[in-house]
Amino acid sequence: MNDAVVTVQQAGIPAHYYLGVAAALFAIGIVGVIIRRNALIVLMSIELMLNAANLTLLAFARAHHDSTFHALAFLVVAVAAAEAAVGLAIVVGIFRNRHSANLDELTLMKR
Amino acid sequence: MGGQIAFWVCTVMILGGALVTITRRNTVTAVMALVMTFFGTAAMYTLLSAHFLAAIQVLVYAGAIMTLFVFVVMVLNREEQEPWALRGVLTKAIGLCAAAYLVVRICIYLFAGIQEKPGPLPDGWGGVKDVGDTLFTSYLFPFEAISIMLLVAVIGAVVVARIPHKPEAKQPPAEPGSDEGHA
Repeated sequence: MNDAVVTVQQAGIPAHYYLGVAAALFAIGIVGVIIRRNALIVLMSIELMLNAANLTLLAFARAHHDSTFHALAFLVVAVAAAEAAVGLAIVVGIFRNRHSANLDELTLMKR
Repeated sequence: MGGQIAFWVCTVMILGGALVTITRRNTVTAVMALVMTFFGTAAMYTLLSAHFLAAIQVLVYAGAIMTLFVFVVMVLNREEQEPWALRGVLTKAIGLCAAAYLVVRICIYLFAGIQEKPGPLPDGWGGVKDVGDTLFTSYLFPFEAISIMLLVAVIGAVVVARIPHKPEAKQPPAEPGSDEGHA
């Protein structure tokens, strides 16, 4: 290994720092889902939460020296991509039919 | 020391980008802030020696998903009148209390520390070869399943988003007022 990589590894930021960042990112994401009305921003917040989940997985992967978590994180990335594609398609479809991407106006199922 | 600085720079990028994402009214600004978050996350993956996933993060998130969002922003070119939901004071108070409780519980758990395996990481850990070995030996079935899921998602997205094919009109549209036009 070259020296730079080893130095970064031994700089020794403990795993719970990474987990704290991931928790904060997840919290910001969930706040975004709750308080925003724009469907696009809500989808972005969901992406933030998936990123936080990945960060958590990788922090535990390094803490346990287990690359199984990496395979899992890879699958999470694929799921996030699929979710973004389908979610954005639904938003476009709704916008085309109702001329609005405001989630508070989509009350068709409430009646 | 260098690792510490890199960690805090990444943290500021991730959390700052996320905060800007959920607070901006302009959707394009939100997407750009989201991209900053994605790059910060990729850098943090590198700090965690997950080099393969850092590359995937840049390719998939900052490349593909960001492009998708920008295109949809282009289609939905409309400003929000009143972007914030949650008007009631009581709701806000309950939400704040719940969030504070959650933060306290997470902090208690986190600052107890996580059991880490001592010693340096094995050579090449987190690289393409390592992750590929895991993915194509023990986890081959989930890998194939996820590829089928991606195919289904792409086809589903096309079906949902495409302009519905109108049957040939027998007569020209009678009343122009009701003809809104789907395109």
